[in-house]
Amino acid sequence: MTGRDGARLLALPPSAVLERPLETLRDVEATLEPDVVWVLGPSREPQAFARVRRVFDAPAFHPPLETSGDSVSRQPIADGLEIATVKGASALRASSEAVSSTLCDSDIAALVCDDVTTTTRPTALETTLEHASELAAALPVGRTTTLLTGSVPAGYDELWHLERETGAIHAVDHDPELECEPAGDDCVSVRVRGGGPTEGYGGSASFAVLECDPDGVAAIDTYEATDFGLEAVSGIGPKTADRLAEQGVTTREALLETPIETLTALPNVGQTRARKMHHHATVLETGEPRRLTDESLPGENWSKPPLCLDIETDGLSPTILWQIGVYDPATDVYRAFVERDDPADPASVLEAFCDWLLGVHPNRALLTWNGWRFDYRHLGAFIARHLPYYADEWESIPKFDLYLWAVGDENALLPGRTNELGVVADALGYEDADTALDGAQTAAAYQRFMRTGDPLEWDRHEAYCEDDCRALWHVYERFRDAPRVCQDANGSETPPAGSSADSNRSSSATADSEQTGLGDF
Amino acid sequence: MRIDETEDERTDGDDIPITGDELVETYPRYREEGDGYVLELPGRAAATVPNEDVLRPELSGPLENALYAHQADALAALERNENVCVATSTSSGKTRVYALQIARNYLEARARDADATAYVCYPTKALSRDQERELNDFFDRLGLDISVRVYDGDTEPGETRRQIREEADVIISNFAGVNTYLHDHDRWARFFAACDLIVIDESHTYTGVHGMHVAWIVRRLKRVLDYYDSDPQFVLTSATIGNPGEHSSALIDEPVSVVDEDGSPTGPRDLVLWNPPPQARDGGGNAADVSAEADDIEADEPEADESEDAILERVPATVEAPKLLSHLTYHDAQTLLFTPSRKLAELSVKRASKHRHDRRRYYTNPDRGSAIEPYHAGHSRRNRHGTEHQLKTGVLDGVASTNALELGINVGEMDATVQLGYPGQRQSFWQQIGRAGRGTKRALSVLVADHRTLDQYVVQNPDYLLENDVEDAVVDVDNEAVFARHLRCAADELALGERDVGAFAERERLERAVEMWRRAGQLTGYLETGVSYVGPPRPQGSISLYATSGEEYEVELADGVDGGHDPEMEPLAEERVLRDFHEGAVRLHQGQQYEVCEVDHGSPRPTVRLRPTDVDYYTRTRTDVTILDAVSEESRDVGEFTLHFGQGRVLVYHGTYDKVAVHGGEKKEQGIPTENPPLSIETQLCWLEVPDRVETALVEKYRNFSVPEMDGDLAETAHLGYAGGLHAAEHATIGVAPLELMVDKRDLGGLATLSIDSHLEQEATADADVAAGGGAPQNVAAAEATVREIASDLERDPSSGWFIYDGIDGGLGFARAIYENFEAVAARARDLITDCDCGRVDGCPACVMDDQCGNDNQPLHRDAAVDVLDQLLGNEDPGALEAHLPENEHGGDRRPPLFYS
Repeated sequence: MTGRDGARLLALPPSAVLERPLETLRDVEATLEPDVVWVLGPSREPQAFARVRRVFDAPAFHPPLETSGDSVSRQPIADGLEIATVKGASALRASSEAVSSTLCDSDIAALVCDDVTTTTRPTALETTLEHASELAAALPVGRTTTLLTGSVPAGYDELWHLERETGAIHAVDHDPELECEPAGDDCVSVRVRGGGPTEGYGGSASFAVLECDPDGVAAIDTYEATDFGLEAVSGIGPKTADRLAEQGVTTREALLETPIETLTALPNVGQTRARKMHHHATVLETGEPRRLTDESLPGENWSKPPLCLDIETDGLSPTILWQIGVYDPATDVYRAFVERDDPADPASVLEAFCDWLLGVHPNRALLTWNGWRFDYRHLGAFIARHLPYYADEWESIPKFDLYLWAVGDENALLPGRTNELGVVADALGYEDADTALDGAQTAAAYQRFMRTGDPLEWDRHEAYCEDDCRALWHVYERFRDAPRVCQDANGSETPPAGSSADSNRSSSATADSEQTGLGDF
Repeated sequence: MRIDETEDERTDGDDIPITGDELVETYPRYREEGDGYVLELPGRAAATVPNEDVLRPELSGPLENALYAHQADALAALERNENVCVATSTSSGKTRVYALQIARNYLEARARDADATAYVCYPTKALSRDQERELNDFFDRLGLDISVRVYDGDTEPGETRRQIREEADVIISNFAGVNTYLHDHDRWARFFAACDLIVIDESHTYTGVHGMHVAWIVRRLKRVLDYYDSDPQFVLTSATIGNPGEHSSALIDEPVSVVDEDGSPTGPRDLVLWNPPPQARDGGGNAADVSAEADDIEADEPEADESEDAILERVPATVEAPKLLSHLTYHDAQTLLFTPSRKLAELSVKRASKHRHDRRRYYTNPDRGSAIEPYHAGHSRRNRHGTEHQLKTGVLDGVASTNALELGINVGEMDATVQLGYPGQRQSFWQQIGRAGRGTKRALSVLVADHRTLDQYVVQNPDYLLENDVEDAVVDVDNEAVFARHLRCAADELALGERDVGAFAERERLERAVEMWRRAGQLTGYLETGVSYVGPPRPQGSISLYATSGEEYEVELADGVDGGHDPEMEPLAEERVLRDFHEGAVRLHQGQQYEVCEVDHGSPRPTVRLRPTDVDYYTRTRTDVTILDAVSEESRDVGEFTLHFGQGRVLVYHGTYDKVAVHGGEKKEQGIPTENPPLSIETQLCWLEVPDRVETALVEKYRNFSVPEMDGDLAETAHLGYAGGLHAAEHATIGVAPLELMVDKRDLGGLATLSIDSHLEQEATADADVAAGGGAPQNVAAAEATVREIASDLERDPSSGWFIYDGIDGGLGFARAIYENFEAVAARARDLITDCDCGRVDGCPACVMDDQCGNDNQPLHRDAAVDVLDQLLGNEDPGALEAHLPENEHGGDRRPPLFYS
């Protein structure tokens, strides 16, 4: 997950900075290791900026506080790599020539301008780009400029082509990851990428790490503010964190030194919850997973291990499950079913998979990561629709969901900061194949194939699916070998299976496991 | 079942306990001639069809009574695979139509060893539970093993829900539920794959904002059903409305056969229009009822006066109606009183009892017929069932109920109904009085008029109630904001693709909306290959069934207030919050006064916080309105007048408010700032251009009119009288719109202007600042300045006239419906003005004054308004104005750019 080719730019919303204790910010720095910290504009937040400068060793910048007036500044982010920043769009107009020439410098990865944002007017069925005319006046023509803005959520990636003279919208390309060509000499092409918080469950602040390289942004990872510091510990929400802070406990190390009796003196914290806090803090500190219960792993006692399954679709509301990958841990063989020829035919690939599964492995169980929310859900629906004669057999196959077992049913504690399979596997020492893909990208690539017939880099996309299947088995094995909490303490401390005493943790770990993006799990 | 087939067949032999004439004669009070107007409505014999003509033997056998003709017609249409809307009277057995269709489908499916399911939607949860029981009983009686289950917000999550989805034959829900559950349609795969009937009960309730959301939820449901290869039929049941076919088709986007020839029998009905007697003008704060005895003084009647000015000339309906309830039950008539609020339902029971005791000389046995209970949604379900049962079995003599008993809950049939005030719509009026009438026995219904515009119109024009026309129900699917929100949900449920072109929306509209959301980062992909939703999770949760732009305010109690006072209000659209729920506003809800303590506009969850209060004033917002950039999309000529429909931008600023005394209507405090932000809405509007000739003549005719209280130069102009006429005509047309259409007057706004042209989009400005949509004035003062500036630059003399707009972002379809029905609305408006006997040139709250007026009801000129409307409607010979036309063609005064909302 952490390719170090370019520079890691941490985009922090001021509210997340102001609302978290300094120790949490230190945990952010230690965990994410940013090269540069960008405190998002467009509003001036000197206090937030001061906190960041106090905590982070990495250089920080906050565009609204730039001292260079209306001109453009250069912010080094790595050797030979810089980003250009302006206070706001008005600076683009004031010093358009300076901006233009700066952006032509090959060391510049991107321009930061925090008040560029989109405005949607549903009554007119129209989304426009704010400050388009300023951008048109200042950005170089004939090339694509990457623009970073904190006013748009991280993950936003659209290529706007603006007419040079007026800033009127010429066109908008929606898959710049696949195709990112400038539109012509009378157009300014600006690839707008968001660095702002994403809207999710509970509205808690999130922030992003942008992997920058000379071409712009290579990858983005998002985190919840509650994935760090004390709140990363299962069972500690904002209220408990505040109460602990009052007692001087602001880090996980300090939490581990706090006796259980002190914790149980807090409101709504019982023995079980207090112990789980300790256990999870230990997991996070050591990077070693732990099992909370005597519940066996799904399929653990079977004579043959489950088949590790992963599917790739053309979107979150899929019209085809175009790749079905299966890794058999018993033989260390990986098998992929891919529709390379006719994407309008969702049945063939599915049928090939079912023929093989039911014919060759009639007695094996399946294993997925969050499959009940995605893989099994869509496989079930597609088989019922396209292969009704296999529907009953499919229903009868035992299906396991390792994510559900570990997180949903609270049988284990994970060392990752998010529950994305890649992050968990990475935290458990899995060496990935470095395909630099995620589910959304592979879906977009397949959609382009469907539309244009341009073939995918099939090997790379198949390697991605295989990687997930193997990562899943890696996680499974690590769980299998993980110590049980009842083994290093009194047996009586084992919480009952399915205990929900700690379910109020506000981080993404136990939030509804709905899949909200193809990169999530 | 609405129709109770176990009801014994009574004959006319035993007549009603008290007739309309007897009521007028026996009521212990001096009455003025004509204040109690009795209409006799004839009855109707039953038209029936033998069951075996329509139904297979398994069904016709066990069914006790013959089908009414309309039930048979509907079932025949369903047999022909048509969708059906049954629009017949209350208690005419509409439920039976779909219950039997469910049974037919069930038997057919069973014969081929398959499933047949039905999805049945009711407007309220209470009705859902009631009908679950009724339908299960009905199928039991038919000996069919059809399981009917409610699945809504009150259904326990988890195993219960899973079991219902996987096993029920009929699932009862509501549209808020359908909206939510579509997200997980794969869990409903069995139910949807077998679904061959969708029922939309009480479909007439889906109008306005709510109606357009329902129309889109139905479209989303249909595309999911299509995915599961289901193509169910629809049955809609509706109260009698003006346009059942059009309305039903708009809701479901398919042709619908209307069945409205009512075959159920009714007895004759005495309909009494009861205008309460006059009382002394308000002197010292209490409304003393002169004709009552001294102990019958009703003090503190805030609920009657929320929207009234000082003209309290008659005893309020809130006082009079409970007395009638009491009187009727005394005379052995089991009576249902309909009240507009829960509190009034409670209060009416007490007042009914008090009336008996105050009039002991007349009611010599005060306990006779005195078992009267209140009924409303605030009571527990068990409590309500008890009341329903006691009504049915005759244990109760009377009930005072909110409109909770208007919609089909089975309470049997009454002898009489009393309505506390006109319920606002003929559709609702008939629905309520339909509760009275046992079989073919004579029934009695009394409407006690309040002193509001519509009530007084109705009692002055009783023919209005008897006209065949009932209000049209308006459902609009043109609102882009609402469409766009449902499009996100649709993409989340199933990828949008080519098959949605034409089916969900036309290609151009679909492409534009998809592109809008792609640019906003919320949709991804293309129609050719599938568009998925990638925005924040569960877009269904962001659908507010009561707002268009999504911003919906929760209503909560302020911190520290006892939860027992929770007003339990539906969430509010932003437009309403700014107008009626600014900080400091005092609102009356269900008879309880609330003060708004805090409005949180900014947070992700906007909120209005209230606390109960008890003060002697209410608040009224002052509103500035300006219309800009109106673009005509359609127009038509009405005589020399031109009527337009189009889109435009309305800037509304509810900048200050007044505190108005509950009694006497005096302004206790004026011009208090609301701290509101201004509101800018893109909406639908219609406007009328008055021809120059009419304008010139009327300016001349009324040039001596002046309004002493008005200040500024504008008060001096020769145009003031004519402008007052336009202003009055604008108020009156909006005021009577509910007589023709199922609209809430508060969702409409208007603007009378001497310069329509300056509110239209100006070509010269079209290319300036297009890129960012900038340059548009952001507050009303700037907008008004813009309008004046445009006016001064106009090359030709502008037209005068008035605008009517939908006060909700994106529009509601009301302005369009008024455009289409303008002559009918204008004729009502004219009658309203001429029939009012207030005798004032500037009118009264019952005719042309409007409590929402942004210009403090100045200037208003009734006669000028009537002249304009007469010219429009062709009532007056165009030559009638000839005398007023100035001789000199160019002698006109310079026209000031005046406009009044």
